Amino acid sequence: MTAMCDVAFLLLTFFILTTKFRPQEVVMIDIPLSTAQIPLPENDIMMFQIAPDGRVFFGLDDQNTRLKLLDRISSAYQIPFSDQQKDNFRTLEYWGMDIRSLPEFLSVDPNERSKVFQPGLVFDTTGNQQQVEDLILFSRQENPDLRIAIKGDKSAKYKSFDKVIQALQNRKVNKFNLITSAKSGQE
Amino acid sequence: MAEMNVPAGGGKKGAKKVRSKKMSTRVDLTAMVDLAFLLLTFFMLATTMNKPKTMEVNKPAKEEDDKKEEPPIKMSKTATIMLGENDKAYCYTSPDEIDPDTKLELDSLDYSPRGLRTFIQRRQSEVQAMWGDKDELFIMIKPLPGSTVKNIVDVLDEMTINDVKRYAILEPKDPIDSLVAVTIGQSRE
Repeated sequence: MTAMCDVAFLLLTFFILTTKFRPQEVVMIDIPLSTAQIPLPENDIMMFQIAPDGRVFFGLDDQNTRLKLLDRISSAYQIPFSDQQKDNFRTLEYWGMDIRSLPEFLSVDPNERSKVFQPGLVFDTTGNQQQVEDLILFSRQENPDLRIAIKGDKSAKYKSFDKVIQALQNRKVNKFNLITSAKSGQE
Repeated sequence: MAEMNVPAGGGKKGAKKVRSKKMSTRVDLTAMVDLAFLLLTFFMLATTMNKPKTMEVNKPAKEEDDKKEEPPIKMSKTATIMLGENDKAYCYTSPDEIDPDTKLELDSLDYSPRGLRTFIQRRQSEVQAMWGDKDELFIMIKPLPGSTVKNIVDVLDEMTINDVKRYAILEPKDPIDSLVAVTIGQSRE
């Protein structure tokens, strides 16, 4: 009997430890329900998260691609990054701010990062800037197999969603995935 | 292991107490094992259910310069769903020709199965009766700025549930849309 108890606790410990931790979310997003059955692919994902207030965040799931993206941003926007900042970017899951304010954000200690308010990606194209489109272009050039996923909060207004879609379409991306949680067809 | 022998007073060092009756406590641990298995089952199921699902969306490529002029679709084969504020969907069918006298039948529906789904199925059966094939139905989804991501996801979901083969997300730019927008009192900006 004791042996069975031991086995049970061992298995329990195993499962507790192997549940993957959710990556630290910058903002809580309540995803809408749908009857979609296709599970989210595991890798090669470029994720756009839309917060309830309309802020948009960007994330890549692969750390190497992140570094390459940072190099491209660095040369395109003429912003030098120190090695410490590059390393911080590598471990940054999601971020949303003007690209030009990235160096300052990356100098903040990782544990303090959650305290900094991130204003979301910049969509307006004044001054001939196309920050979001550049992000999309550079990431896809570094990794052509990237799939686009959009995780929008239930109550996020359609406008922010539309801006993301417009930016994607301008970069010739017409196929993307909307992340939803499961619901049965019969309500 | 259903019982555990706890030596009463045997672990104390140095204390020379007068031991009264030696009581051996027997604790039944079956309950703990049951709890352990319950937790185990919970974790086993919870980790697999957590995977969020995705909904594939394919949009037609944005035509920049030379827009191929497709023959305009007969309005009676279409239905328009305009997504408004407060989780309301306004559904209507544009008449084939618009003149100053046309009355527009406008339904304000919610997203429950009784609302939107009934409308879609009704249109499908109408198109089936009129044109012979319910897959001819073309649904135009026009989201107003006041609608939310949840509305879009729900509408796209209804497309899949009702097996609508042709639908598109469009800007509310047609003249009929301005009429509807004025009627419901929401702006299109």
